[in-house]
Amino acid sequence: MLNIEKLQVSVDDKPILNGVDLKVNAGEVHAIMGPNGSGKSTLAHILAGRDGYAVTGGTVSFEGENLLALEPEERAHRGVFLAMQYPVELPGVNNMVFMKTALNAVRTARGEAALDAVGFMKLVRERLRLVQMDERFLKRNVNAGFSGGEKKRNEILQMAVLEPKLAILDETDSGLDIDAMRVVADGVNALRSPERAMIVVTHYQRLLDYIEPDFVHVLAGGRIVRSGDRTLAQELEEKGYGWLEQEDAA
Amino acid sequence: MNAAATAPLASYRDSLARLQPQLSGAGQPWLAQYRREAGSHLQQLGFPQRRQEAWRYTSVDRLLQQDFVPAGAALPDIDLGAFLLPQLDAHRAVFVNGRFVAGLSSLDTLPAGVNVGSLKQQIECNPSVPARWLGRAAGVPQHAFSALNTAAIDDGLIITVAQGQKLDRPVEVLHLTTAPGAALVVPSRSLLLLEVGAQATLVERFVSPDASLYFNNSLSEIVLQDDAELEHVWLQEESPAAFHLHSLFINQHARSRYRNTGFALGGAWARTELNIDFLGEAAAAELDGLYVTGEQQLTDTHIDIRHGVPGCRSHTNYKGLLHGKCRAVFDGRIEVKSRASKTDAHLHNANLLLSRNAEVDTKPQLEIYADDVKCSHGTTVGQLDPAQLFYLRSRGIDAAEARRMLCLGFAGEILDRCGIAPLCEHVRTAVADRLAQAPIGAERV
Repeated sequence: MLNIEKLQVSVDDKPILNGVDLKVNAGEVHAIMGPNGSGKSTLAHILAGRDGYAVTGGTVSFEGENLLALEPEERAHRGVFLAMQYPVELPGVNNMVFMKTALNAVRTARGEAALDAVGFMKLVRERLRLVQMDERFLKRNVNAGFSGGEKKRNEILQMAVLEPKLAILDETDSGLDIDAMRVVADGVNALRSPERAMIVVTHYQRLLDYIEPDFVHVLAGGRIVRSGDRTLAQELEEKGYGWLEQEDAA
Repeated sequence: MNAAATAPLASYRDSLARLQPQLSGAGQPWLAQYRREAGSHLQQLGFPQRRQEAWRYTSVDRLLQQDFVPAGAALPDIDLGAFLLPQLDAHRAVFVNGRFVAGLSSLDTLPAGVNVGSLKQQIECNPSVPARWLGRAAGVPQHAFSALNTAAIDDGLIITVAQGQKLDRPVEVLHLTTAPGAALVVPSRSLLLLEVGAQATLVERFVSPDASLYFNNSLSEIVLQDDAELEHVWLQEESPAAFHLHSLFINQHARSRYRNTGFALGGAWARTELNIDFLGEAAAAELDGLYVTGEQQLTDTHIDIRHGVPGCRSHTNYKGLLHGKCRAVFDGRIEVKSRASKTDAHLHNANLLLSRNAEVDTKPQLEIYADDVKCSHGTTVGQLDPAQLFYLRSRGIDAAEARRMLCLGFAGEILDRCGIAPLCEHVRTAVADRLAQAPIGAERV
């Protein structure tokens, strides 16, 4: 589904990613871990199409198509979704109008009929339950005045509504207490399916206790320095990132 | 005064000299004197110059280059249906080129103690209210256009609500102006008197059926006696060629409440002046406004709030959306006089610039001469936030639609505070249409 080869990315002429290789197939959950500043969020942003990054080498293909040539909305239409680390507030933009506009934009781009208000409400009510949110969230403005936990749940709600093929969760656990993290993780787990791939970007292993990955990759210095199964995450938790860096140097 | 400003002054003066004997109540000494005095004020004041602080950012050169003539008695045919807002259930007064048109108005079911109609008729039939109140709130003209308006007082809107009376439905006032032939100057005058404890809702709309060139020079005086409440919503949708000046003078007595929500969308050159004087304690004014300024437009807002007595509250929140090559001016001033302790006054102006050719001059001012007050003022000028745009686009919403959503969200704060739902929806649609046509973001993200 997703094939990243030798990806090099700079910000303001400063190299951040120095040749990342990653293959993700449908149904797989990949965790990307790494110390602060290792380029984890850059990787997430570059996949979603955020500007401000210069690709200086390598390729990213999504279902055989050059992902990097697409506008952010076109990536969403193809099924790429980024749950953001810091969801922005959109004052004056109603949450329900926003989600309905987004869903219908995606549906229209895929050649499906747009949902009317009734059809949308039916869908969104069902998805609200996944993240234990009530309908009042829909009446509020997007993320405006939301708590950290509410913002993250709103991200997962959007993911549940848009049903992406590839979901990238960027530090979804940051700023969450254990209870909120469990709600978010339950929502994510409910969305796991053989057709859907996920990339879970996280600094800490604790989220992976709830969302169990099939593969774990460690990003350090802009490269994937180690890949393994979920036991790698546990090893990292015990030994810290320093262990890998020392081993690298040796 | 330079020669450029002298020539139009002489022509306006000559035109007034011809006009004044034909105006309503010309035989009433109080009115003849009031007009005469205004004529000499006009002579003394001259037309505004850029060196005057209140006109620093707004040139009147373009206006003075036009040869405006007074509107005649003949009125064009108007298809009123084209201007009605569906679902707005209101008493309606219609003015065409500044003249009250009874045939288009529906004022048959006004409650007792409420008078809505023509100032001209009032002056001719029962001048006691105009004789007592005209000029009270406005005071001595501060600029030539106020003087011109007063020197040519003829017709306009009068509303009086007797003590303790409440209007069951809003009063909608349509100011229609059209000048398909010669460019017209329309000096319309409004007088609103809400007696002790009276309550009313006024929806004022300035519209034109065409793109004709005219100068709507309006002056409104509003007196709110003790405990009176007025909700005042206005929408300026003048012709794209029009010059529009509306000076409002509001006198607020003890515990009166005034809510003014304004939407300025039209005109080539449009200026609104809101003057609030607190004359009695514990009165409150809330001013919310939205201007949407596009290609070749100038929108100018002047707000002057004078807290002269203790314990009054004024909250002002104005927002501007600017697209295309255009200019907006916001000049908001709060003055808290020395005896006005316990004043609660806040003024904020936010602007969203969607084009690199848009220009805004915003100047909030706070002058405090009293202790124990709660006051603040602020202003912002910004562009669409790239992080917000990316957020929407990453959800599949295309860039143009994302910009529209953010702009409407920006305007939404003011729209949501407008208590007249049909008008609010009308404005929301008008703004969305404007943004859909404007090439926003093509030049700047």
